[in-house]
Amino acid sequence: MAFVQNVPFFSIMISMFAGIVSSILPAKAARRLNIAATVVIGAMSAWLLVFMLQSDIGYYTYMMGHFPAPWGNEIRAGVLEALMALVFCIVMVLSLMGGLHKLDEEVEPSKENLYYILVDLLLGSLLALIYTNDIFTAYVFVEINTLAACGLIAIRQIGRTFEAAVRYMIMSLLGSGLLLMGICMLYDMTGHLLMSNMKESIAVIMEEGTYAVPMLVTIGLIVVGLAIKSALFPFHAWLPDAYGYSTVSSAAMLSSLVSKGYIFLLVKIFYRVIGLEYIADSKVLNIIFWFAICGMIFGSMNAIWEKDIRRMIAFSSVAQIGYIYMGFGLGTEAGITASVFHMLMHSATKSLLFISAIGLTDASGYKRDFFEVTGAGYRNKIAGAGFLVGSVSMVGVPMFAGFVSKLLFAEAAVADASWRMFPAIIVLAISTILNAVYFMKTVLRIYTPMPVEEEQAKGYVCIPWKQNKVYAVVIVLFIVLNVVLGCNSKPIIMMIEEGLRNFM
Amino acid sequence: MGQSVLILFAIFVPILFGVCILAKPGFKTRKSLIATATVGLVVTTILSFAILYIGDMQLELFAIGENMNIYFHADKMGCIFMTIVTIVLPLVGIYAFEYMGHYEQEQRFFGFYLMVYGVLLALSYAGNIVTFYLFYEMMSIFSMPLVFHFRTKEAVMAGLKYLFYSLTGAYCVLFGIYFLNQYTTTLDFTAGGTLDMSKVAGNEGLLLIVAMCMIVGFGVKAGMIPLHAWLPNAHPIAPAPASAALSSIIVKMGVFGVMRVVYYLFGAEFLRGTWVQYTWITLTLITVFLGSMLAYREKVFKKRLAYSTVSQVSYILFGMALLHPQALTGSLLHILFHAVIKSALFMSAGAIIYKCGVERVDEMRGIGKKMPKIMWCYTLCSLALIGIPPASGFISKWYLATGSLATELPVISWLGPVILLISALLTAGYLLPIAIDGFFPGPEFDYANLEKKDPTKQMLVPIMILAALAVLLGVFPNSFVDYMGELVQLLF
Amino acid sequence: MNQYWILVAILLPIVGGISVRFLPYKKTWEMYVFLEAIMITTSLIVWGLILGGPTEVFHVVHFFNDLSISFKIDGMTMVFAGLVSILWPLATLYGFEYMEQHDRQETFFMFYSIAYGVTLGIAFASDMLSMYFFYELLTLSTVPLVMHTLKREAILASRKYLYYSLGGAAFALMGMVFLMVYGDTLEFTLGGVLSADKVVGHENMLLWIYLFAFLGFGVKAAIFPVSEWLPTAGVAPTPVTALLHAVAVVKAGVFAIIRLTYYSFGTEFLRGSWVQNVVMALAMFTAVYGCSRAVKESHIKRRLAYSTVSNLSYIIFGVTIMTPMGLVGALCHLVCHAVMKICSFMCAGAFMHQTGKKYVFDMDGLGWKMPIVFCTLTLSGMGLMGVPGLAGFVSKWNLAAAAVDSKNPMAYFGVVCLLISALLTAIYMISIAMRAFFPPWGFDREAIAGSTDPGWKMCLPIMLCALFTILLGLFSSPLVDFFRDVAAGIY
Repeated sequence: MAFVQNVPFFSIMISMFAGIVSSILPAKAARRLNIAATVVIGAMSAWLLVFMLQSDIGYYTYMMGHFPAPWGNEIRAGVLEALMALVFCIVMVLSLMGGLHKLDEEVEPSKENLYYILVDLLLGSLLALIYTNDIFTAYVFVEINTLAACGLIAIRQIGRTFEAAVRYMIMSLLGSGLLLMGICMLYDMTGHLLMSNMKESIAVIMEEGTYAVPMLVTIGLIVVGLAIKSALFPFHAWLPDAYGYSTVSSAAMLSSLVSKGYIFLLVKIFYRVIGLEYIADSKVLNIIFWFAICGMIFGSMNAIWEKDIRRMIAFSSVAQIGYIYMGFGLGTEAGITASVFHMLMHSATKSLLFISAIGLTDASGYKRDFFEVTGAGYRNKIAGAGFLVGSVSMVGVPMFAGFVSKLLFAEAAVADASWRMFPAIIVLAISTILNAVYFMKTVLRIYTPMPVEEEQAKGYVCIPWKQNKVYAVVIVLFIVLNVVLGCNSKPIIMMIEEGLRNFM
Repeated sequence: MGQSVLILFAIFVPILFGVCILAKPGFKTRKSLIATATVGLVVTTILSFAILYIGDMQLELFAIGENMNIYFHADKMGCIFMTIVTIVLPLVGIYAFEYMGHYEQEQRFFGFYLMVYGVLLALSYAGNIVTFYLFYEMMSIFSMPLVFHFRTKEAVMAGLKYLFYSLTGAYCVLFGIYFLNQYTTTLDFTAGGTLDMSKVAGNEGLLLIVAMCMIVGFGVKAGMIPLHAWLPNAHPIAPAPASAALSSIIVKMGVFGVMRVVYYLFGAEFLRGTWVQYTWITLTLITVFLGSMLAYREKVFKKRLAYSTVSQVSYILFGMALLHPQALTGSLLHILFHAVIKSALFMSAGAIIYKCGVERVDEMRGIGKKMPKIMWCYTLCSLALIGIPPASGFISKWYLATGSLATELPVISWLGPVILLISALLTAGYLLPIAIDGFFPGPEFDYANLEKKDPTKQMLVPIMILAALAVLLGVFPNSFVDYMGELVQLLF
Repeated sequence: MNQYWILVAILLPIVGGISVRFLPYKKTWEMYVFLEAIMITTSLIVWGLILGGPTEVFHVVHFFNDLSISFKIDGMTMVFAGLVSILWPLATLYGFEYMEQHDRQETFFMFYSIAYGVTLGIAFASDMLSMYFFYELLTLSTVPLVMHTLKREAILASRKYLYYSLGGAAFALMGMVFLMVYGDTLEFTLGGVLSADKVVGHENMLLWIYLFAFLGFGVKAAIFPVSEWLPTAGVAPTPVTALLHAVAVVKAGVFAIIRLTYYSFGTEFLRGSWVQNVVMALAMFTAVYGCSRAVKESHIKRRLAYSTVSNLSYIIFGVTIMTPMGLVGALCHLVCHAVMKICSFMCAGAFMHQTGKKYVFDMDGLGWKMPIVFCTLTLSGMGLMGVPGLAGFVSKWNLAAAAVDSKNPMAYFGVVCLLISALLTAIYMISIAMRAFFPPWGFDREAIAGSTDPGWKMCLPIMLCALFTILLGLFSSPLVDFFRDVAAGIY
């Protein structure tokens, strides 16, 4: 066993310990520790990714403690896990750095190190969700994740965030509860908690045909539970406020990472626990599919009606989550590949949008109203550029990440050629139009100069990029990430495909 | 090339003169304008007579695209039309020198007048349908400023109406050309038709529709029902010389177009006995009758003459529609006669307006006493138009009627002559009372204030020449009849 | 010339345009000279490529599967690239004078120049994805031009333009995906790329998809239900309306439809199907609809924009005949209409620039004050009507010849629509000329006292375009022969 194979374990541990240590550190040190930990974990994940690509083992399991397979706890790592960990780390560190300058204003100084503890815990739980091979461990980290996320929302102590955090908490716990029930029932039926063992028993159960109804219920419980937590369409009510009013880094992380962690867990459950062929047979997928389709439309419609620029981006997330679930709903491998790619793309793009939106509102007297950001693209050029790239990517212009995922979705839908094809294709097209409507409307708005007199009267000032170099660098890196995903998608798609194949 | 370059000269000399007159910011004196216009008219007339003298010449200019040659061919049919143009237009021009002195912007009038002259000659020489169509459109466009010369609101509206009707017709024709391009061996005018029967086989129905379309399309210019409505608007509102040219020549170009399409592209054989022929005949007969009726009821003098044109031109179309040699001879004769007569009539109407300022028929009582020379010419022409022997109209109507009887078409062969006769009576009814009231105003007429108002020679002479022609052509028709008879033999 | 020149041709105007903002020029004319030099150089390169360019495909960026950004030079490329490369330098020259009084000239010319490069990208694109890429970029790079004046209506117009275009592109993208799945390749091949074995059993579905993709690209080509953006976008400065909304952008839409129909789905597959009837009916309807709206419209640029709507549908009508001759007719009208419409837009712009008025009824008597402008406007109007001897007649002739030749009764009816719309064209174009040259008696002479023809920078392009109109009308044979070779796949 190569040393690099310890990386998953170390990653989780480093982030957890960073969180614990941070609690006794002053804010500044906690921040440094947090960033350092994330960078180190990212670097290690990259190392692991390279290793996995070069070796031909495909994946490996890693025993936690000394109990072997059916009893012990395991970590499993492959190309896809390493890739996800890498991208999550990159996005996380960039989101954090991009929002740093706002943190001092938004978070009480005495609570600042608490913030970093939460971020560390969040990262740790995400990594655990990615790597774990044990479904109950997964549940535990889902809970940790939820709590950390709630803390990240509530730490900006204004009335709205409390309300949002409470709402998020309730919905999230509801989801967790459903998930837990599902897991219990699975345990009941199979007698296992390790995913690989569960899958074997489920295959047997399915062959025999016993437990057909409980299995359906279980699948339903798990899917709905995770769908609530990741804000699939009818369960998305908590999302806009949570993303819209929390600190900017939190919003970026929540939208791009937290929900993705749950979705990745769902992918794992599909592949590694129940088996894609059984999932595809069950009717649950149809429900997901229609919810997703509705989400794509209604999320975008809400975004169009929204006047608050950050809430608009938040609603856009609802639509994007819809895309991802639509990919699941197709029930084919190509569809899930597209979904996973979309997760990556959405992480990179949505956090870019949140971060650049904050630059725009900063240049508009901290007002978030749609009409106030008029001309903000000129006042804060770097944020304007970031928002432009993010929007263009969301709308799906080739060379940017969004185009590739859209293409993959469409290709998956077409190749499927079942009844799902036409709704999927048409809604993809319509939702692209809707995306264009609200993102391009905003882009035009920020690039419509505000009359100089009005600007002066309102006291809006230009923010040159030199004023906040970290922010500028973050935006540039995000843009680069987007373009890399857009232009160089081939290896990434190959990695996803390979990873999913190994999930089987 | 060689001699045939003359054709180009005949076409472009007047057009160039016209353009120069239009483009020149202003002539110093009226005389210099008139001198320029005169030179233009005379040179063109000489050129076209030279072409007539040399006869049958061809000129292949260049190809716009495949099957789209600009090609001139002064064949016999073309020569007939060219003769009419060169007789009437210069005379009307001379008349206009005096007449237009009354009004503003005569420079523009003469500019466009000369251009129209060139275009009309070009139409006569056009050797294929594309060239014909080219100049046909140009004719519509260049003659429009003549119609709305006075630029009052009604004049402009009438001008536009004229243009849009013309274009509607032209596009109907174009529709046909597109199809002919596919179904003929060549688009050059060839006596007897050029349909490619191997391609036509099986598509006869389509081609009949196309033929009808083209007939109706050209029929617009000729004032044939159903698209005649522009004519009673446009002709009266134009200045009298323009009305004369429009009514006598330009409407004939519609007739000419029909002639070219029916006898030179489709061929008479193809249409004989089809629904197209019957529809066409019916339309012409209705037009003949309704035109006369409307003229009879009309009180404005020039409008009455315009309705008369509607009716008379459909005589010609009727003759052509019969697809019979004798009737066609009648048509050709009537083309010539009507051009001469109607221009003379319009010019006398113009003279009356010019001198006495009266436009309505009921104000014209005693006019013969005021302007005896004009009214004599008018009366002679009226008689000719009605068809009283030995004046010219009689000859053509005779040929039309006998031709009709000779066709042996059911009903039409006798109904046609009957309608022609009724219409002739109506013609008498709307033309002669003016002359009668003019010369015999009755006892109440105020002879005390009578003054001679005959116009100057410049206006009078052209009218007199034409009136004389109207009578003399009827008296000595033989050479024309022979010439046309020869021509007609080629077409059947 | 080797294949890298294609990249140079595309990138030169883009880079040149962007550099306008950073160059330390002191006087505006220096920028003009610089830009014009860039435009002309690009055009020369393009012509070099057309006359002696590489024939093989040139891959630039490779995505995944067989998706890539790649270029090649085929017959369609020659037609479209040749067309824009002639008109762009002219329109830029015109723009210099037109924009003299405007603010933010650098921004304007930056995007104007970028759009050139992007349009060339569309022309040179060798497969659907590359074309789609530049197609989207074209939308994005022209939006700033539409909203240049920054007035409220300009912003609304640019928004509308953006939504329509991006939305259309989304549907087109779906079509492309189907081609990926059911075709052998995305590379444009005359006759289509659908793979016969994959298609079996899915014919009807693919026809539906063709319809969607057609409508998607049809947005830029202003096909009826999605045409409304074009007249609205007339608020842009005239050089934009003239070049982009009469030539580059809208023709890019038509170009894409040709690529879709002849080079991707293939006419063999589509001819005789219900979808052919549908798209043909749409084209026919739009041809008449555009004209009738134009007749009602008294704002000069919107009138011309509606006229563009109608004329674009002539081209599409030619495309939907789906025979080689139909393609010849379509290409012919593509070129002829470009020349005539840019001419008439430039004249309209000159009128607006010189007098500050916008409506047709403000033109009374101006014909004698601005003879060059209004003579050329009348000339191009007559060309659009289809007066023989001018460009419009030739192209309509070819369209009609194709329609008659196709033996499709629907196409016969299309000829009727063509002629009806020609009549309507006559109404709206001639009434302009009438007002200008023969105003009603007693019009307001004072109002037009100071108006004159514009300077040479505007007059020269106008007159050149008018000259092209005449030349195309009189000597079309070489061009039509070339189109015939293109349609036969010789290039």
